[in-house]
Parts: sequence; structure tokens; C-alpha cells
Amino acid sequence: MPKCTINGQEVEVKAGATIMDAFYQLGMKEKIAHYCYHPSLSIAGVCRLCMVEIEGNPRLQIACNTVVTEGMKVDNNSAKVNEAVKWGMDFHLINHPLDCPICDQAGECGLQDQYMAYGKYEPEMAERKVKKRKVVDLGPRVVLDSERCVLCSRCVRFTEEVTKTNELGIFNRGDRSEIGTFEDRPLDNHYSVNTVDICPVGALTSKDFRFRQRVWLLKNAESICTGCSTGCNVNVFFNKEGVFRLKPLYNEKVNGYWMCDTGRDTYKPINRDARLLDARLSFGGDKAQAKVEYMIPLMGAKKAAEWVREAKAANNAKSVALVLTGQYSSEEYESIVSTFKADVGTDQIFHWVNNPESFESFDGLLFRGDRNPNTKGLLQTLQKHGVMDNTWKDLVAGLESGTIQTLVVAGPLDFSVFPDLQEKLALFAKAKRLVWLSSGKSELVDASSITTVQIPMRTHVEKHGTYVNHSGIAQSVKPALSVVAKAMTLSEVADVIAGRNVKREEASSPIGKRAQNEFTTQRGAL
Amino acid sequence: MESKILSEHYDNPEFRGLAGYKRLGGYEMLAKALKMDRQKIIDEVKASGLRGRGGAGFPTGVKWGFLPNNGEPRYLLCNADESEPGTFKDRKMIERAPHQLIEGMIISAFALGVHKSYVYMRGEYVGPGKILRQAIDEAYAAGLLGKNILGSGYDLDLDLYMGAGAYICGEETGMISSLEGLKGQPKLKPPFPAVQGYLRKPTIVNNVETLAAVVTIIRDGAAGYRKYGTEKSAGTKLFSVSGNINKPGTYEVPLGYPLKDFIENECGGLKPGRKLKAVVPGGSSAPVLTVDEANRATLDYESLASLGSMLGSGAIIVIDDSNCMVDVLSTITHFYWHESCGQCTPCREGTGWLHKIVDSIIHGQGNPGDVDLLVKVADQMKGRTICALSDAAALPVISFVTKFRDEFEFFIKEGRSKVTGKGPTHAQMHH
Amino acid sequence: MFQLSEEGKEFVKKQLARYEQKESAIIPSLYRVQDENNGWVSPEAVDHLSQLMDIPTARIQEVLKFYTMFNTEPRGKYHVQVCTTLSCGMLGGRELCSTLMKEHGVHKHGEVSKDGKFSFSHVECLGSCDTAPVMQINREPYLESLTEEKALKILKDLK
Repeated sequence: MPKCTINGQEVEVKAGATIMDAFYQLGMKEKIAHYCYHPSLSIAGVCRLCMVEIEGNPRLQIACNTVVTEGMKVDNNSAKVNEAVKWGMDFHLINHPLDCPICDQAGECGLQDQYMAYGKYEPEMAERKVKKRKVVDLGPRVVLDSERCVLCSRCVRFTEEVTKTNELGIFNRGDRSEIGTFEDRPLDNHYSVNTVDICPVGALTSKDFRFRQRVWLLKNAESICTGCSTGCNVNVFFNKEGVFRLKPLYNEKVNGYWMCDTGRDTYKPINRDARLLDARLSFGGDKAQAKVEYMIPLMGAKKAAEWVREAKAANNAKSVALVLTGQYSSEEYESIVSTFKADVGTDQIFHWVNNPESFESFDGLLFRGDRNPNTKGLLQTLQKHGVMDNTWKDLVAGLESGTIQTLVVAGPLDFSVFPDLQEKLALFAKAKRLVWLSSGKSELVDASSITTVQIPMRTHVEKHGTYVNHSGIAQSVKPALSVVAKAMTLSEVADVIAGRNVKREEASSPIGKRAQNEFTTQRGAL
Repeated sequence: MESKILSEHYDNPEFRGLAGYKRLGGYEMLAKALKMDRQKIIDEVKASGLRGRGGAGFPTGVKWGFLPNNGEPRYLLCNADESEPGTFKDRKMIERAPHQLIEGMIISAFALGVHKSYVYMRGEYVGPGKILRQAIDEAYAAGLLGKNILGSGYDLDLDLYMGAGAYICGEETGMISSLEGLKGQPKLKPPFPAVQGYLRKPTIVNNVETLAAVVTIIRDGAAGYRKYGTEKSAGTKLFSVSGNINKPGTYEVPLGYPLKDFIENECGGLKPGRKLKAVVPGGSSAPVLTVDEANRATLDYESLASLGSMLGSGAIIVIDDSNCMVDVLSTITHFYWHESCGQCTPCREGTGWLHKIVDSIIHGQGNPGDVDLLVKVADQMKGRTICALSDAAALPVISFVTKFRDEFEFFIKEGRSKVTGKGPTHAQMHH
Repeated sequence: MFQLSEEGKEFVKKQLARYEQKESAIIPSLYRVQDENNGWVSPEAVDHLSQLMDIPTARIQEVLKFYTMFNTEPRGKYHVQVCTTLSCGMLGGRELCSTLMKEHGVHKHGEVSKDGKFSFSHVECLGSCDTAPVMQINREPYLESLTEEKALKILKDLK
């Protein structure tokens, strides 16, 4: 374990660690400029910004490729280093288009940020800039602007080393070098937007996010991706209009630095456009649409409670069944399952597996066939309450024989991962009454042929909750924002059904912090 | 004072084929070496003071000593990428004495415990490539390559790999990248090639002339080799001479030989009526010498270093008073701009910037501060990158504009050359 | 769609087996493609090689675009490469190239003459400075110690 000093501060690092590792180990209390280095990619050593002076060595060295040796004294505040970094920045900028006003990276740009600290502030480039390609359609999700590119090669290394799809390359040489794909073929691997995240400048931008918001008008909060059972850690970027994008947050045990492209879309069902805003009571039959009654969510829950009470009064609690998807938090499962067992008095509790064919699949990186954030938490709860052995067949039999008459379904938060929705609704229609809990609106549910009350639910970013991922890691999520303040949690619905006082979870208002550039966050404050 | 220990038979066409080469004593040193202790060969090369003849001048024996003894397969690569402007001595050697290189390579490979070796030759060298290919085939047929060489039990495979046009492949790790089938971009050091080179295995990269010199060291011993040259610049060296000179060509002289005598005697002096203006002593990367400096210089590593330049690849470009130094520099800045591999930012952007400033001046569009700016930019390109191309691009710029500042200032002010009186010509404009 | 000849495919397969790492076969294979495709490597040819060699197109394209001896656009039957660096530049290489281009009615580097016979480009130091100025036509041995008359005649004599 060699010890070194970084700007006078002693650090003990692992054998073989680089000076850059030592800077990271210091939590970036000492800042160091860099573009090409990325902790999860191979060392390129090409941006030449992480220059340090090492006592006894007349030549400046790059921190990312210099291994710490015992007693090494490293300084990156010296005049020599500052001069080198200042000019290094300038070399990056002489051919840069400086089109920040129309660049989506503005506000979280490595060039902008580092210029503040290391800029030369006296431009001397009077020659014509190199013209390169702009607005290159690089695939379904990514747009390339070659003039903004600093050729750090992070994106190229990502496709070589992480996805191993090898779409990207750097073509030509010298100042004619450009990143791209062969013949502009699409960069369409399932992790393509990560190249946008790791791009330190505005060369790669996300089609989905482009021109929609200035990043400084967004707040961000930590959460998880609910797109599958991996539970990638994410930063949710939002403002009062809703959520605009998700970016992965580093978690060594869960997702490293990455997330998949499918996960990127999981913010969409959170936004108001997709949401069920009021409780909605319909009666099925020919005039189903005409007789719809709307009410506040709490009243919808009371309607459900009334139906449960009726079954209990008829001494037929077991005619009430609960169907659970893997879309809710463990706390909610505990609350609803224990309510049904103890207060309702039924053990008719079933697990809705949305895509049994591909449920066990895995792409080798992050994406899993179980497209629910908390199947594991659900199974743990079912186990705990001894209702693990109930099979879907039992539910079908109960519905077909008429023993199950009132069905409470904790349905999808994200309809896109429920390809079987229509088929399942047809099955549920064999009951007499359906209590449908969901955050989203669905024409299929609206058209339900039986008496149905839909109750709007909160999404994971609007409530506290724990989600257990495929490998058993429990991750607690705090509310980030409120989109539909009246919407309920599963626990609240359980309280209503049980006749308990409902403790409404505070509807969180968009508090959060000002948007942070994850680039600088990783590197330390600039 | 030519001392032809390498090039004694270069003018004899017989020396080019295997039969003639053998008749003139060829492969006798291989037979001798194969009976020697390997370490003895390495020690002899170390003791000879031989320094890499490609340009960097690193002591060959010391480089060989960096190979770890870890039982891994190891490689010897011969650098025949000769691309430093002004340099052509390796080409001449391969054309005239291909077996001398092969013999040097087998001896060196044997000493280093190498069983697979490549000659990496620049793609443009089509003619020399054919000659070397033929020589390699001859050597295989004669049992000088392949299994059990000359009954010694030692095996070596040697192959020729042709590049495809990139100066940077002359940089040893750029060459390794190219041989591995990638862009010829230099690799980060550490690890150095001797530890992790070709295919991340221990690798020694030596220049053509260096490897050929090993044959003479086996023949004459370290002491014999040291009879030529100086203490720190032992032996002889091949010099490529071109430019405004009567007898351009390849010459072998002992290191330490005075440059002035060399130009005036061996190379036949300048054209009638012309005066010497400047000399580039070691390929285009070497800072240019003024007449005064050239008159004081001797052809060795120390003398040229003390004059702020370098021996480099031994490429001497003689520049007479008919040349505009702005124009001469413009071909050099164009060269480095064109050849920068593009991976390190200071070099990628800096070579372009230097080229554009000089180009602006040549086009009569120079700005008053351009000379100082050229020096400033070039200064910031030095010692900042993975390989030495950035330095190689910076050094000539600094030397040209400081030593011939008046010509640059004149061009900037007047929009025409101080020497020729002409403005930019169409031909000078690169496309 | 470009396809290598059967011999060409055989050649590529041999190169794949020849080196320790199959990527080393890219350069020799690109030369082969260029020889079989009138002096340049088309995008279809890169696709073809990618399939034949099982190497991603981006890797082949990187190599193709890095080395100057590969042409990514059609060239004349004779691609004339005139050295213009340092000694050749000092001794008339640039003027020589202009003269040759003018003679064949070509105005830009890389442009193909109307009869399809010639294209021209400046190249960096060819390593034949003692015989400056020099040029290279396609991938043939150098033409050295040129004068304008000599070079014009060389081109005139080409069929």
C-alpha cells in the first residue's frame, strides 16, 4: 500500500493505483482536469489535461497513466502544471465552434466548466476553424456534432469495451479526425445513450432530450430505474412540468456507471400526460362509457372498501382476491397483503407475471427479462404471509367457477411492460367487480365490461419505498417530485380498505437541488 | 574520410544476392554468433556503445537489457518505416545489402531469445520491399531462417510487413499498433515495449541500420567498433544527404566528423555561385542550424545537442541562399499537420495551428504577432504528448522563426518573400 | 456489390492465418481490395471484408482512413503521387505536380482526368530525397530525379 502526497495531502492507495485513482480517493477535494479518463473504461491518455508535477521528475506526467510509488510527491497546482493545463484547454477550444447558445450540453459541459478554472482567457487563434460534420443522425437515440467533439474517445471505448458492439470509430487523422460509425450506420445498441452521458462535451446529445430544457432549469434527485429487476441507480431530472430525463448514477454493486436505453424511457409514464388523474367508476355493459362517475382518489378507495365490506358482511371474504404486480414497493406489499390476510380475511392473493416467456432472460449487462422493479420484494412478502403457493391457475379457476367475485388488482405503473394487459383484463372481467389500481390511464381498462373502480396511484418518484432487485439488494427510494398529488400509495388504499385512519404521505413539491453536472460531480466541485 | 564498415560493398551489385553476399563474407558472423553465449553478444553490443540509428539514439545494448526474463514469447521488430523527411539511408541499405539486415536480425534475435521477428517497412517502399522479400525467401531456402538455423538448433521466423502510408508508424509503439492491425497510433508508455510491446509481449524494436551494425560488432568486437566515432557516439553512421548539394546520397562516416568538411568534401559542396544558408542536420524534426552553427558542428550526438539540435536519423538537408525559409518551413509544418495521428490534443490541434499560421504568412495574410505566436504555440506542444511527434513538429518551427526571424517578419509585413521577392505561388498552395 | 475474386478471398484467408492477431490482416487485405477495385476501396468492399474477416466495419474503416496509401474515392488508372516535402519541395516537387496536373486538365488533387487515366496528389516525404524530386505511380517503385520533361514523358508513355 504505497503512500503518496497529493498537493501536500497524504493518501495511501492500493498497489498499482494511479495518481488519478489517488485524486478520486481524496474524493476530489483536490481537483484535476480531465476528459478522456473514465473510471470504468481503459486508459487512453489523450486529452493531456490531467498533468501533474512529480517531485524529481522534470517532465510533467499524466495522472491517469502514472502509477503511484512509495513516497511520491504529486503537485498539480504548480505554475508549470497550470500553464500546461491552460494551454491544454486552449488546444481543445481552438477548433471548437463555441455554439453554446444552441448546444444542449451547455450548463453541464466539461469545456465550460473547466474553462472557468483553467481557461487562458486570451484567445489567440486567428485562423479558420476546421469544419466538421454537424447534426449527424447517429441512430435512434443519439445525434453527433463533430465540431464540438474533443476526440476523448470515451464513446469509442464504450462501444469496444462495454457493449462490445464496436459501432464507433475515430476516422482520419490529425485535426481531420472524426468520430462516427461506418457509413453512418445507426448506433443502435441497447446502451447507446450512455455515450451521451460520458461525452464530456456536446458532441453526442440525446434525441429524446435535445432542445427540450436547459439543464439549469432542471432539478435532480436520486432514484432507481423501474424498467426491470436490475434497479439501476438513476438521477431523475425534472421541473414543475415533469420529468425530462434519467441518467445513471454510479453504484458498483448494481449498475456501475451505466443504464440501458429502455430504462431511459421509464420517466415517460411518470409524467402527467400518461397519468390517471381521478378515481373513475364505470359499470360495464353497453352503456359503460355513458355512466362513468369521477371522484377524488380517496373516494375511489372508499368505494373499494365498501365492496370488500359487502363481501365480508355476506360472510364471503374469500370471494375477494388480490392480484399484485411487481411494480410496487416492499412496504406497500406488506401493508396490502397483511390487510387482506388480517382485515379482509382472505388468502386469495396472486402474483401477476407480466411476461412469463422472457421473465428469466438477461442481456449479459444490465437488462433483465423481469420488467418489474420489485418482484423479489413481492415474493418475499408473499412468502412471509404464507400465500406463496397460490398459483395463477387457482385464480383462473376461482374466477371461472365464480368463487372469486371482487378483484383488487395492483396493476402496472408502466403499461409498456405489460404485453398481456388485454388478455388479463379479459380474465379479470369474469369477476363481478374490479378495483384497478394504477398510476396510468388506459383505454383498455376504461372499456372494462364489469363494474370497475380505477384508483390513481403514485409512481416510485412520488413516494418512499424499498425495492429489492434481482440479486436481493434492497434499495430505498425517496420521493423526488409530485406529479399527481392526489394519487395514492398502495399502503393508503390498504388503510382505507381496513378502515384505518389514512396517513397521507406528504405530496412532495419539486424541491430537489439545482441540476448538477454529473461530470463535475464525479470530479469534484468546480 | 569515409569509413565504410557497413557500406563497404554497397556499390557491388553482387552483394545484393545471397550467393554474392556469402562470397563477400556474409553470414560468417551469424555462424560465429550462433556459437557464442547469448549474454556475450548482448554484452558486446552494450560495450560497443552502439546507439539506435533510427533517430532517438538510445543505447541499443541498454534497450536489449530491458527485456524481462519471464519465459514469455518475445519479439524483435525491425523498424524500416523510414519516414523522417530527408532520410533514405535504410532504403539504400535494404536495396543494396538486404542480407546484411537479415544477418543482423538473426544474430540479434538469437541473442535476445526471439523466435519470431518482423521487418515493418513503410508501404511506399515497394521496390525495397520486393528486394527484401526475395532475400528473406533466399535465406529460408538456404536454411538461414526457419528451423534449426545452420544446425545450431535455433529457430527463427522472419516476415516482412508492409505499412500503408503513415509517418507515425516509425514511432516504435505506433509501429506496433500498425503491425497489430490497428491505426498506427502510439501507445501510452509505460508499459514500454520491452515489457509489453507487440501483442503486449516483450518486444525490442530496432532500426535497420542498428541491426545491420550488430554484424560489424560481432566481426570487429566492441573495441573494433569503438575505433570509430567518439566516446559517447561510437562507430560509424550512414548519413542521408539531400537538398542544395552537388552530390546528394548516402554516406558512411565515423561519428564526430565535422559537418563543414562533410558537406564540402564528401558531398561535393554547393552549386556554383550559391552560399550555404542553413543545414537541417538530423531529419526535419531536428532544429535547423545557421551557417555559423553548421561550421562548428561535428556529426555526433553531443555536438549537435550542444548546438540545440540533434543527430536524429542522420538526414542532412542542405539549404542554400536561394531558398525562402518561410517556404521551406511551410513544407515542414504541412508535413507534421498531415502526419499527426490525432490522438493527443496538443499535437492534433497544435500541428494544425502551426500549419495554418505559416500557411497564412505564405499567402500574404500573416498577422504582426505571428512569429511570437508560433513560438508560443510550439513551446506548449513540447513534452505534452504520448509520443515525440508533437515535439518534432514544434522544434523546427521554433528554430526557423527565431534564427530566420527577419525573413518571417518581412513576409508578414510585405506579403512577399524577402529572398525571392515573390508572393505565394500556386504550386506552394497545398490542396 | 464488390466481391473479391476467388484468389483474392483465398489471399485474405491466408493473411488471417499468417499473423498472430487477425486484425494484422486488414492492411494486406485492403491492398488486395484496392488492387482488384481499380485503385480504391469502396464502402461495399469494407462490408465485404468485414464479413470475410469477421472484423467490425468500424475497425476496418479506421485503418482504411488512417493510411494514405489507401484511396477511399475512385482514382485515375494511374494515381500520380508527387513528393513535396522538404528536399523535394525545395527542388521543384510542387511545381512539378502543378505542371502535370495542368497538362492533364486536372485542377484538384484526387480529381480524375477526363480520360480516366490520371489523378494526382501531393505526398509527404517518400524517402528518396537524394533523387528529388520524386514521384510514385500507384504502388510501383519510385520515379526519381525528375524534371518536368522527364515526368511528362513518363506519363505520356503510359498506356
